[in-house]
Amino acid sequence: MKKIVASVLAIAMAAIVLVGCGGGASTTTETKSTTEDTSTGKIAAYTEEDLGKDFVFKHGFDQEFPPYAYRNDNGETGGFDVELAQAVCDYYGWKYEPVPFNWDAKDMELNAGSCDCIWSGFTINGREDNYLWSMPYSDNEQMIMVKKNSDIKKLDDLAGKNVGVQTDTSAYTMLTEGEQKELASKFGNLQVFPDYTTAFTELKAGSIDAIAIDITTGDHLIKDDKDYGYLEEKLGNEQYGIGFRKGDDVLCKKVNEALDALVADGTFAKLGEKYPEIQPYLSLGKK
Amino acid sequence: MSITTMLVTMSDGMLKTFGIFFLTLLGALPLGMVVALLKKSRFLVVRGIVGIYISVVRGTPLMLQLLAWYFGPYYLFGWEIGGWRYPAIIVGFVLNYAAYFAEIYRGGIESIPVGQYEAAEVLGYSHTQTFMRIILPQVIKRIMPAITNEIITLVKDTSLAFTLAYQEVFSIAKQIAASQTSFMPFVIAGVFYFVANYLVEFVMKRIEKSMDYYK
Repeated sequence: MKKIVASVLAIAMAAIVLVGCGGGASTTTETKSTTEDTSTGKIAAYTEEDLGKDFVFKHGFDQEFPPYAYRNDNGETGGFDVELAQAVCDYYGWKYEPVPFNWDAKDMELNAGSCDCIWSGFTINGREDNYLWSMPYSDNEQMIMVKKNSDIKKLDDLAGKNVGVQTDTSAYTMLTEGEQKELASKFGNLQVFPDYTTAFTELKAGSIDAIAIDITTGDHLIKDDKDYGYLEEKLGNEQYGIGFRKGDDVLCKKVNEALDALVADGTFAKLGEKYPEIQPYLSLGKK
Repeated sequence: MSITTMLVTMSDGMLKTFGIFFLTLLGALPLGMVVALLKKSRFLVVRGIVGIYISVVRGTPLMLQLLAWYFGPYYLFGWEIGGWRYPAIIVGFVLNYAAYFAEIYRGGIESIPVGQYEAAEVLGYSHTQTFMRIILPQVIKRIMPAITNEIITLVKDTSLAFTLAYQEVFSIAKQIAASQTSFMPFVIAGVFYFVANYLVEFVMKRIEKSMDYYK
């Protein structure tokens, strides 16, 4: 019943738009090379032919997640994942299209086809079944960040304290439903932030006592701030990969092949040198 | 990152903010009038639909409406929405603001005494002539302060486009703040919104003054 009311409303509103603005701004939708399968409402997977030279690779990422994807010092979109995605596109001669999105809306953006993958420091652990994953390309560790002279020295000291975390990150999942759930239940409060920058500001301002964070992201935050560090005990380990829509096997396979090739020709390692926070954790091309 | 680089990076977003602002006004100011007149329609069904539209639009957060317009086509019809981001933002803003403008217009129209309609009829004016030549000019004069209010709110509301990660000033400010761990981008954004609204105030005051012809 509610659905019927909602669709009637939607149609009524759409009608008003059409009558009112005479088709002003709303005519620019264009579907690119993908075709949608209307019977299921799912975006159809790319075929081998789709992925030719004129393919536009829509890289979906959170632009507030340094050093993987962010505004670099020149104000341009950059970061390890952005440059790696561009390198993959160059390898095939694809056109690269950045699709920055809000982290909260990543699944909607992916499912609705506005991007082809989620790729900005995206943790595989705990999400294994939700996406079609590329090979993992980086390891990471979750840590607890505190002020250096803080009285928190080990994980148990966090009992009764206020701990900050970014929403829907791996650290968040670990604390709310994963292996550290029990630890989190002893916290005074688990404060969830839209982004780690805000969390770090609050840590500095003293309104929270610690932050649960990936070490590479944390290193970027405290790069110029030597008063902050991590507890020796870590929260957990994780691996980063690229998340594709389930069923998009051809695209996933192609990206994996490109990653192999970029590791083999040294591009991957060279990119790692540009991002010293990430480099020690890169897992491809090692051993 | 130097402040100059920040300004250059953010200026790109400022243009996009102005884009939302002007397109919304261009769509919502006339559409609001259509809605206001439809709400005074003789037909119950038309009045009903318009009433529901205004209630829904005013009764739900604009942020939510933007999400609905952007992702709605996918969830309702399974359409791919690549390229729909900006149009969805404009549709969301125009429909939202049209509802508020419509109520301001309606208030203005209803503030004109019935006696004027009767007098116009006696003098042989048609309905359209009465509305266009006698009622509307007075309405516009009366509603100017309320319209200015809405327009100023619109300047600030454009920042809600960050919900759909559209790269306007506020989104870029957030991104620079994240990468530089600095509060400066927000200060710049604040100054930008203030200056923009100062200009709006100035222009609207001028327009009000130009309509001060009975004094």
